[in-house]
Amino acid sequence: MSVFIDENLSQDDTGSVACRHCTTVLGVAAHPLRDARVRVTAPQTAGPSVRAEASHFTDREVVLRQTFCPECLTLLQSEIVPADEPSSRSRSVKVVGA
Amino acid sequence: MPVFPVAGSEKFANQPASREETLRAVGDSVRLHDVDHAVVDALDPLTYEVVRHRLTSITEEMGEALKRMSGSVVVTDCNDFDAAIMDEVGDVVQVGLYNTELAASLDMAANWTLRNRSRGRGINPGDMFLCNDPWVGGGLHQNDTSLFAPLFVDGELFCWTGAVAHQVDLGGASPGSWSVGATDVFWESLPTPPVKIVEAGEIREDIEDVWLRRSRVPKLVALDLRAKIGANNVAHERLRALCEKYGAGVVKAVMRRTMDDAESRLRAKLRELPDGSWTSVAHQDSARAGDRGIYKIVLKLTKDGDKLVFDFTGTDPQVDGLINCTFAGLRGGIMPVLLTMLCGDLPWAPGGIYRCIEIISEPGTINNCTFPSGIGKASVASAWATTNVATECLAGMLDTHPEHRKRLMSVCCGTWDFALLAGVDQRGGGFVTMLCDSMAGGLGARSDSDGVDTGGLACIPMGRVADVEMNEFAFPMLYLWRREEPDSGGPGRFRGGVGASSCFVPHDSPIGGVHLVVSAPGKALPLASGLSGGLPAGTQHDVLLRGTDVAAQFAAGRIPGSLTDLAGDADLLPAHHETDLGPDDVYYTHWQGGGGYGDPLLRAPAAVASDLRAHKVSQGGAEEVYGVVFGADGVVDEAATTTRRAALRRTRAGLDTEEVTA
Repeated sequence: MSVFIDENLSQDDTGSVACRHCTTVLGVAAHPLRDARVRVTAPQTAGPSVRAEASHFTDREVVLRQTFCPECLTLLQSEIVPADEPSSRSRSVKVVGA
Repeated sequence: MPVFPVAGSEKFANQPASREETLRAVGDSVRLHDVDHAVVDALDPLTYEVVRHRLTSITEEMGEALKRMSGSVVVTDCNDFDAAIMDEVGDVVQVGLYNTELAASLDMAANWTLRNRSRGRGINPGDMFLCNDPWVGGGLHQNDTSLFAPLFVDGELFCWTGAVAHQVDLGGASPGSWSVGATDVFWESLPTPPVKIVEAGEIREDIEDVWLRRSRVPKLVALDLRAKIGANNVAHERLRALCEKYGAGVVKAVMRRTMDDAESRLRAKLRELPDGSWTSVAHQDSARAGDRGIYKIVLKLTKDGDKLVFDFTGTDPQVDGLINCTFAGLRGGIMPVLLTMLCGDLPWAPGGIYRCIEIISEPGTINNCTFPSGIGKASVASAWATTNVATECLAGMLDTHPEHRKRLMSVCCGTWDFALLAGVDQRGGGFVTMLCDSMAGGLGARSDSDGVDTGGLACIPMGRVADVEMNEFAFPMLYLWRREEPDSGGPGRFRGGVGASSCFVPHDSPIGGVHLVVSAPGKALPLASGLSGGLPAGTQHDVLLRGTDVAAQFAAGRIPGSLTDLAGDADLLPAHHETDLGPDDVYYTHWQGGGGYGDPLLRAPAAVASDLRAHKVSQGGAEEVYGVVFGADGVVDEAATTTRRAALRRTRAGLDTEEVTA
């Protein structure tokens, strides 16, 4: 039996996490995006909604960090954060039957 | 100057106290009404529902009373207030539908009062206590002034009622008590611990004088005080009638069961969800004027069985500035999300809901700061950021369940776009007002639908925006526009609701211009994050145009429709700023939308086309972010869209452009 972690991820009863769009295995319950593809770009890559350069307001570099399924390239997670800060976004759903 | 410990302030570092602790502290000084469990168990369902709904309607009546008596547009037109009914020890039985952030810590203030004011002058029939000390509770920053009143029935303290509203000015270095240069609380409005301002039904003139003397608009604050007295009086009248009709024991039993019901139904809902943990982060750029730092609040939410643990370990230390919030602010940040996302179908009784959660937070951090840290902006700074992390984690939890995921929502309008005007109004009187245009923030996207455009704020279910005409009538200003802004909603398979902008010029003040205080973060980075791959909403964007030709354009019968239509020198404003606006200076402020949900390349092309027609997204946004191609006739070119989306998938992942970090 599998559970959905979110729109893009499902987890089976062994704790294996896969992309719901292409079934590629991406990680395990404790690290569901372990094997996902991460790309870091300028915040403006997010589109016209990012209005001004971050450097106008802060001395810290700000980046758009996006995480993709390595197979179907579906966008799994996105955040605009200080570049020197590792991602604080994660989730870990208890394995059914564990 | 760095914050240093203040001897004696620990008395006001309030934490929720158990019923047993409270009873020990009160002793024999006040007789507290109680009811036996047997009476609660014996309640018939019909009586329970009738009385419970009556309690709900009383909080609504309290809100109506407040609005009718207040003279502040922030209250009368924007609903920045709330009301609550609490039991005899302060546990909230029913919270109103207005600004739930404000009411989320009324329990702490009432309970502190019970423990610390029962002796001496005591707590007696007809008394009301005023508080704007967020270390005690009752509000999130000093502007949130609460007035709570014990109701006595047959000589026993039966329950408390409370009203809390944003006061437009309570002193401090800057108008609006929004001291953007503040490094600690001594720059700001003086926090006032609970003080008996109404005694035996009469306002104490000496205390009121002390209270009003600090304000730049004392008559308005005096009116708000009377509005809150009126709200409590209305509630007491209705509650007395209820007790006369059903008996105090039955009404109290309904209060107990309401909280028990909220607790048991929330626990049942939690048991339906898988156990797990979700972590998130919320940032704030700038702690005060001139500061270029970025600060974070980190949350790990753990769901275990029927319990939620909110662990804020890893959150930044408190900072020299005005963005910190107290523990009451932290609770105020959590409760609105619990109410709207998890408790939409059960009683809004925080007294029961709080039993299901545990909070882990280290004193001395930006959302659990110690005295005398600056907290002038707490409600819309660290408390709001707490709401943002709580939203993201709770939404992640709900996303795991096929049914409950329908109730999730991405982060709404990342923060409050604070613009405050002060000076002399068109009638020659002094004025201070916080513009509440950003009450029309974009709501976050859901798992099955777009966020509501300019739909409001998650923490204020009944928040409203004053009409442009009301603001122009009340204050010396003229709007060039107030409108939704394309692309401001976070892109996603389901788009975040768009935010909006306002643009105005000072008008008709006898001194020519107005004073402006700006406190609006989210400029260095967007603050309304997305979910499941959805992108964050847009950034905050404020521009001040000096020396424009707006008067000449008005004289020629033209209303400028964009900043580029205006001559003048443009200044991109930082998060915190204070200045004067002259009669030819135009201020433009653009607040945030809601975060998106899901990959934007999975959004239906027809929905993107609809967004383009409705100016929810720009042509550039439609093409670059959503990958939708339009033919010359404006119709979606399906084949070209498929091709573009395939190419975008690769380029945005860096496959065609650069080395990728795996």
